[in-house]
Amino acid sequence: MSKDSKMRATINQKLTEMGERERLKELLRAKLTECGWRDQLKANCKDVIKEKGLEHVTVEDLVVEITPKGRVLVPDSVKKELLQRIRAFLAQHAT
Amino acid sequence: MKMDEISMSSLDNSKLEAVAQDILSDLVEDACLGLCFEVHRAVKQGYFFLEDTDQETMRDFEIVDQPGVDVFGQVYNQWKNKECVCPNCSRSIAASRFAPHLEKCLGMGRNSSRIANRRIVTGNNTNNKSESDQEDNDDVNDNDWSYGAEKKAKKRKSDKVFALSLKQLFHIFCNNIFATSLSFCFS
Repeated sequence: MSKDSKMRATINQKLTEMGERERLKELLRAKLTECGWRDQLKANCKDVIKEKGLEHVTVEDLVVEITPKGRVLVPDSVKKELLQRIRAFLAQHAT
Repeated sequence: MKMDEISMSSLDNSKLEAVAQDILSDLVEDACLGLCFEVHRAVKQGYFFLEDTDQETMRDFEIVDQPGVDVFGQVYNQWKNKECVCPNCSRSIAASRFAPHLEKCLGMGRNSSRIANRRIVTGNNTNNKSESDQEDNDDVNDNDWSYGAEKKAKKRKSDKVFALSLKQLFHIFCNNIFATSLSFCFS
């Protein structure tokens, strides 16, 4: 198991060091904005805010309400594309 | 041995796939958190609900779709046929020609300084003739430059000086010689 976690740690480190993690983040942001995911979730946020009150809403409230919905609402095409890029990176640099 | 290798590689593959899925889920969670922070800051700073307007104000600013009018409801060619009076020469100029006229009339702007420079140069080249400036100017303007022709005409009109171009003088001269030679022949 530790060999596994070692491998994961190395991969994560490489991902960050080579700037690939940032690029993937940007790509994901762009794709999610394009497909309307952000606007959908923003509308959900509005509901949460109206529920909890403008003055008293906290980050925790939003995170707890929004993150699970956000995960589910990511479209499959976006997931596929991101996975493709990650796999390509791993194939190049994982061994 | 071969069987082992194959199973080892498929194990690796499934591990790599798991790693890829984990990375993806990390990235998605990052995106969600980023959104939450942005929204929370917008709420606390007071700009979250800024773009929401009520129906009535929305109707006030709707796009206008009538003929002869632009999207704001303003008539867009109402200044086409109006005339303005030039404060310098007190002439009545059409609105669309007003700006270039003013440029030349006041002696400001790129073109008028270029023309003035050229006149200085050509005036220096052939001095001693009182009409030298205008002649040379006209000569140079024989190259079919449109604003040059315009200037020629304007100069004639506004200055009201009877200035002859070199070409015309030449023609008159030739005609004179022709006429005198003819009369000489027939005398």
